[in-house]
Formats: sequence, C-alpha cells, structure tokens
Amino acid sequence: MTESAALERRYRRLLGWYPQPFRNEHDEEILAVLMASSRDGQRRPGLMESANLVWSALGMRLRQAGSRSAARPWADAMAVFSVIAPVFLVAASVLEVALPYRLPAGSEPFLGRALGDHTQIGGLPLLHLTGFDIAAGGQMIIAALVLLGLRRLALTAIVAYVVYWTVARYWIPDPLQLLSTSVYMLTAAALVASPGPRRGRHLVHWGHWVVLFLAAVAVQVSTLAYAATSPIARILFPRPPDMSTYALISILLAVAVVGLSVVMRLDRYLLLLLGVMFYPYAMQLAYPTSSSSDNLIGHPTPAHLALLFFPPLLVACAALVSAVMPLRVPAAQPSGPDSAA
Amino acid sequence: MQEATFLILTALAAGSQHGYGIITDVAEISGGRVRLRAGTLYTALDRLREDGLIGVDREEVVDNRLRRYYRLTPQGAQRLAAEAARLQDNAAAALTRLNPAGGVA
Repeated sequence: MTESAALERRYRRLLGWYPQPFRNEHDEEILAVLMASSRDGQRRPGLMESANLVWSALGMRLRQAGSRSAARPWADAMAVFSVIAPVFLVAASVLEVALPYRLPAGSEPFLGRALGDHTQIGGLPLLHLTGFDIAAGGQMIIAALVLLGLRRLALTAIVAYVVYWTVARYWIPDPLQLLSTSVYMLTAAALVASPGPRRGRHLVHWGHWVVLFLAAVAVQVSTLAYAATSPIARILFPRPPDMSTYALISILLAVAVVGLSVVMRLDRYLLLLLGVMFYPYAMQLAYPTSSSSDNLIGHPTPAHLALLFFPPLLVACAALVSAVMPLRVPAAQPSGPDSAA
Repeated sequence: MQEATFLILTALAAGSQHGYGIITDVAEISGGRVRLRAGTLYTALDRLREDGLIGVDREEVVDNRLRRYYRLTPQGAQRLAAEAARLQDNAAAALTRLNPAGGVA
C-alpha cells in the first residue's frame, strides 16, 4: 500500500464526519484539495488538519440540524417535548402548593411548603420571596419563553435555573427542584437537537395538554402519597395519615395518561419522552428506604443524586450527539489494506 | 465580513478557481499570513453558495481527481466591492488620525 493510498483512506475517514448530502457533493473535491496540499511521503493527516476537518464538519452538522430535522420523527418528538416539559413542571409546581390543602390533616406541611418557609437560599437573601416562589417564577419564565418560541432565551434561562439550584445549599432540598433539574437537562437537549419550540408548539394539540395535565396531577398525587408515608414523615407525624386512597388515585391517573395517549393516537415518541420525564419521579418512589430517613425527599445521598442525574444526562448527551454525529462511518475506498497500524 | 471570506471572494474576483487554487491564491494575496485549511475553505464556500455570492463555474477531472471551479456571482462582486470600499475608508481614517499633519506618525 502506497503512502498516498494510506493518506487518502484516512482523509476519507475524516470526511465521514460531514453530513451525507454535503459529502455526496463535495467528498471527491475536498479529497483532491487535501491530497494536493499534502507533503510528499505523508501517510497521516496532520493534527491541525484533522481537527479543522472535524470541527468544520460538526459546525456544518449543527447548522443543518434545524433544516433537516423536519424529516426526522425524533426531532419533532423532541420539539414537542421542549414545549410540554417546561409547562409540565409549572403545572407540577402549582399543584404542589394546591394539593396539600386537600389532604388529610397532618400531611400538609410538606414538600413545597417546607421550602416556602425559607428566607434565603445558598446564602442569597430572597427579600420577600420564598425559595418556592423563586423556583416557580423561574419555571414560569422558562415555560413562557418556550411557548413564545424563543429558543435561545429559553436555553439561557434553563442554564441559569439549573446552575442556581445545583449550587444552592439549603436546609431541605426541595424535591421538585432536584427533579426539575434533570427534566430541564433533557429540555435543553431537546431545544438544541430539534427544530425548536415554534415547531413543537405547532405540533401540540389539546390532547397533549389533557394528557400533560393528568400526568402532572398523577405525579403530584403519587409524590404526596409517598411523602406522607415516607420514613421522614413518620418522624414528623406521630400518626402518618392513611394515603392508600391517594396511591390508588395516582395509579388510576397513570393508567388514564397512557390510555388516553394511545386512544388519541399521540405520537409514540411523545409517550416515550413522557416516560423519560416521569423517570425522576419514578426514582423518587422507587428509592424509599424503610429503615432510615435517607431518601430523595428527606435526605438525598450522593447515590440518589447520581441515579437521578446520570440517566437524564445520558439521554441529553445522546440527543445532542445524534444531532451532530455522522449516522455511520462511510465505507473507505478500496485502496488496499492499511499497513500503517 | 470575516477576513477569510473577504480573501476567498478576492481570489475569485480575477476569475474562476478550484479549491486548491483558492487556497494558494489566498496565501499569496495575504502575503502568506492566511493559510486556509480545507475544512475552513469548504465551510466558507458552502455558506457563500447558500448566500448566492458564488456559484459553480465548471468541473474537470485532472489525474482522476475532481476539480470544481467556483466563480463570483454579480451579487458577490457587488458585496466584495462594498466591503473593499468600507475597509478602504476605515484604513484611510486610521492613517489620517495617525498622521494628522501629513508628516511622520
């Protein structure tokens, strides 16, 4: 195998980073330029040349992600998700405050109201606002921005929100803030890797909103049912209330969410994404420890946080990578075996 | 307009050129200061084609390698002229302020 054949093969591999339509048109042309620019006897692309090709290819993929995403069903599903997830979190926040008043006596001072008693978070005085007000306000701003279709502003607000609540230290970490952080990671990925919230808003119809509302109620009822019977609740309340009815309601609501989604023929990707959105809440219920007060609500451990954040982070990264990475490595030209291993 | 874009358009102002020709011409125009890499060049060419500032003139196969020649469109020539005039004005203003009396700065 000659040096030039080995070099050509490696250049072709690098050109595989470019989007397929671009390669169809320019592959041979760029290869000719690269080969003409190479030194005599050169066998490998230079480091800077390789970095330049990969960087340019990734930039081109990002630039084209929006325009080509209309043909990808996943992109549309993510566009829908980027709109409904922030609204879902606002609904969950509102319900978090509204629902305890309808619970049996003794179970109400939990969840959002616990954080509502705080006057400062992370050493930052909140003036006349409570931590919960700040959180809910931030969520409403993000929801408003995605509903208005302002992608970059929404992304900026999400980053600010997540950074604030991640670095903030306070007495009882409000579960909603921990959980919403992981949902916002996914939302940010969906905003980047999809045609954007305008497209999502166009695709969403009233059926989505009905399912969304029921999902938010189901999540909060189940959260309350768990919270009122969790180990920490047994410390706070001598006689924890019987929450079996609420547990049953939450199960029925979950069945209704899935059933309605199927009957109304909502996008199956939306169902899957809703599943991803439910994940943090499922974790919260799946990780109670009956023998200690360590749990996601009362006292999250590093293991809880790792389990909570790692999978959503993984999904978010996968969404971003799918937007910028080549779908497959192109077949190399049949130029003989590569002897320079 | 970025300097690389300006230099690519300048390279095409005298006539159509293929990719490697543009790279060598840009290096010559800039006195060796700007050496375009293939990735940067084709990103710029792709964008310039999208914007209608350049177009494909012809294609040739030389030594089994494809050569695609690009040319400046009338819109591209207009844009290059406007940018050159702007840079000239800026340079003149800078020189005037550096040497207000007409002597040595």
